[in-house]
Amino acid sequence: MKGIFLCFSQVQRLLLRPGTWLTIFLTVLSPLAGLTVYQPASASTMLTKYLANPSLAGGTAGGIIFGLFTIYELDREKRNRVDVLTEGAVSPLRMSWVRLLALTGTAVVTLAAAMVIWLPITGKLTGNVFAGRDYVLAYILFMGFGMELSVLAASAAFQAAGRGEFAVVLFAVFSGLSLTIWADNWQLCWLNPSLWAMSDDFSNSRLFREIAYMRLTWLAALTGVWAVSWLCIRQYGKGLFASFFWSARKVYRPFAAILLLSAASAAYLAQPFYDNSNPDLSAAVLDHLPLAEGVTCLSRRVWVYPDTEKGAVDGRALYQLRNTSGKEQMIFFGVAPGYRIISADVNEKAVSSSFSGDEENNMALWKTVIPADEELELVLEYGGFPKEWNILTLTPGTPEISEEYLCLENQNMAPYLLNASSPEDGVRAAIEITVPDHMTVIPFGPGQAEVIKDQGDGKKTWRYEGRGFGGIVYAGDYLCQEIEAGGIQIQFYYGRKHQKVMEEAKAAEAIKAVVNYCTSHYGALSFGENGRLKLIQSRVIGGGYAGNGASLLDEGDFTAANLNNKEKGAVPGEVMIHELVHQWWGLANMFDEADAGPWSSEGLTVYTTYRIVKELYGEEYARKNYLEQWKEETKNYYLNFYVRNPEYLKALPEDKRLDIANGLSSLLHYSEMPLKILKAEQLVGGEAAMDQILSQLFNRELDPAYPFFTYENFLDACGLTEEELSLEQDISI
Amino acid sequence: MNKIFQYECRRLMSSRFFAGLLLVVLVYGWQVLTEVTILGAAHTAPFSPWSFGDYISRMLPLLWAGTQLFLTAFLSPKARRTEALTDVLQDSCILYALVRQSAVLAGTAVLALAVFGEGLVFYGLYFHWYEWRTLLSPFFLVLMPGLVFGLGSGWFLGQLKSWLVYGWMFMPFLWRILPLPDAFGLLSGTFFSQYPLTLEKLDPEFTVPGVNLLVQAGLLAGGAVFSLQGKNRRRNQK
Repeated sequence: MKGIFLCFSQVQRLLLRPGTWLTIFLTVLSPLAGLTVYQPASASTMLTKYLANPSLAGGTAGGIIFGLFTIYELDREKRNRVDVLTEGAVSPLRMSWVRLLALTGTAVVTLAAAMVIWLPITGKLTGNVFAGRDYVLAYILFMGFGMELSVLAASAAFQAAGRGEFAVVLFAVFSGLSLTIWADNWQLCWLNPSLWAMSDDFSNSRLFREIAYMRLTWLAALTGVWAVSWLCIRQYGKGLFASFFWSARKVYRPFAAILLLSAASAAYLAQPFYDNSNPDLSAAVLDHLPLAEGVTCLSRRVWVYPDTEKGAVDGRALYQLRNTSGKEQMIFFGVAPGYRIISADVNEKAVSSSFSGDEENNMALWKTVIPADEELELVLEYGGFPKEWNILTLTPGTPEISEEYLCLENQNMAPYLLNASSPEDGVRAAIEITVPDHMTVIPFGPGQAEVIKDQGDGKKTWRYEGRGFGGIVYAGDYLCQEIEAGGIQIQFYYGRKHQKVMEEAKAAEAIKAVVNYCTSHYGALSFGENGRLKLIQSRVIGGGYAGNGASLLDEGDFTAANLNNKEKGAVPGEVMIHELVHQWWGLANMFDEADAGPWSSEGLTVYTTYRIVKELYGEEYARKNYLEQWKEETKNYYLNFYVRNPEYLKALPEDKRLDIANGLSSLLHYSEMPLKILKAEQLVGGEAAMDQILSQLFNRELDPAYPFFTYENFLDACGLTEEELSLEQDISI
Repeated sequence: MNKIFQYECRRLMSSRFFAGLLLVVLVYGWQVLTEVTILGAAHTAPFSPWSFGDYISRMLPLLWAGTQLFLTAFLSPKARRTEALTDVLQDSCILYALVRQSAVLAGTAVLALAVFGEGLVFYGLYFHWYEWRTLLSPFFLVLMPGLVFGLGSGWFLGQLKSWLVYGWMFMPFLWRILPLPDAFGLLSGTFFSQYPLTLEKLDPEFTVPGVNLLVQAGLLAGGAVFSLQGKNRRRNQK
């Protein structure tokens, strides 16, 4: 009771001070920085610009303000030399609790005030994409926790240091680390969560889960540190260590601190969001597995049950195998990290299945021994919470599995059979997926999904067929618009919330323009029997991909904010252009992905995107946003110290070496190669000549033994040599 | 005075506060070295004077804050209460002030040497590189003017109002984000990442334009003037 009374009187005392009101005022005002000067999230979606950035700014600025205010308040009695009196009346240990609770309460009140004041502003700025749940979660997780953690950190710093000025330095360094060196580490940036985008049209559940996990880990860690510092509070005129041992006589106190710190360490190490894939992107253990001799996968059936509340997946996969080797064979599966194979049965007899310990390219390698029988039915039951690839920690939020949206890619949908052969026409696949009944299921490929059963519990089961060992499926509240362009029928899927923006952005016209450009310059696409191309709007992911009969369109391509960007003319959506172009370069014409060199589908796709952008947005825009950037990045690549002195790169510790090497290799694909193609364009006589060459290459007769489009094909068609396109001496194009 | 200097040095450097600050500086320094310096500044080697200068300029705000914190030991209201006694015991108030400032400078120098040593350990471990003499120029060029100016100006401001020192502590963080002219590049740290690129030569030798040297000299002189000014002002007021 006395504690509660003290707490109220402390809050009352705080609220009487002008300093407290100044702190509250500045903190409530701080989201304004997110609209003006501090915009860590770079995506152009409305919620990123008008909700994520203001709340992140509020958390960062409010955290720093509250941290400094905490130290100022805790130091007050010592500064005014009345500490001896107050310690005589109330134990400094108890007072420390009381002050912490009072400051925490003030932070909560400030957060509530900020949420009330910014609610109408955010609602007006975001328009019809405003979502109350996103608003509340963003302000609590991005802003509220920033203040609470700062109060804890500053309070711990003060109690450990025993001096206000030293506590300020400790707190400044701790905050500074989060804002600078740790800013790119999603688990360490305690003050400013690593976040680049929020989705307007779909949900942000995974993003909120990740940030909540990081915040709670830090809450446990800082509470543990605070508990240790609490034991260090100077008592009876003793120094730091003597006070510590005095306070730690009651064993539960240090035990509680150790428990909290252990829990935080365990949470840090056992984070469930990112996998442990080999950081060496050139490693290819999964590509070089021994082929299971005489084993052919004839077909597979998958039953998938996404748990949209938990963001997890359960499933069952049946593989019809033929083993003509007459002996047992080891077969390997790529399973989504985070999943585990619960059971494996062959012809209704249980067999063992185990994790090999290898993780690569966001796949965990599992192995199973199948018997020598010729006809086999292997059934795997699997499930879990999917982990994202660890190289993607700066773009959190995927894979999203929620009531509003889900995307299951390859191993996230079902274990991916890695070392069995397939029939000439591919492995037949039948997928059944059960999702909430307001969702539309869209396979990323030529197949069309249809409802086969209403489960009666608000869920429906959809079924579609396809070919191959993997596959991607999207589901959400989608609308479909039929477009005809370049002789093909396009099914354009986008989120219902986005309808107005898509119409205002004239997205259908943009798609037609791109398809017509590629068709007239290179040739027509062919999509087999149904002759359809799907263009699916994904949740904002900052990029995309293309597959047979389908391309992705990033949510960030068409936003209300982009509509006002006059620089981009009438057709926004460069990611959409890039991914559509992949239908020509990468799918209709395949590239050998096993080739580790700079030649890949990306080079030609980026070049073609540049040409389309040049035609649509004008030469100046293309020069500034493509050509100049390629030149700058290529120049930086050649000048890079480690490129010039690879022996130093080799000598670095592995994690550092791979970090640097991975960053450098993407420059080759996305900047150096397009620049080389542009140089080739100049050498062969200009754009028209290059278009003719590419058209011939696109329509060339393929060698069935090696159907890939190689750099040699390109050089031969241009009549150029590798040396003539070398940029090492001169990149002035 | 020598005895007083030794006493003040011992008072500053034998405290847990100094040890804590040293630890903080080393932890931050290692993070900078392994995350930023390792990439090299302006395409030069991570162990080039340019990259090392970039590292040092990133450490300057923390060393500056350390200097200001050391000053509070002499300028806080609590310390001021003994000033009436200490002043009458000294032959020269200016000399006594300089001795105390020298003790602060010595404490800061120890921190700076730790930063330098940490850099050498990093280069030895990661690159087996030990040519430390080439790193002396950026080390002294950045830290000496910066810290002397920090010391003098902090002393001067602290004489006016002791709390001004705390505000002054954050000054380097401010000038790192302000768009200062290139002449202040050694202070803001932009010099090491931008100037080598203008030389249009790979791995250029470490050179500094006259205007930057002039600014650094100005800071050094300004710091020295402030050091003396603070005490004189107080005496004149008396």
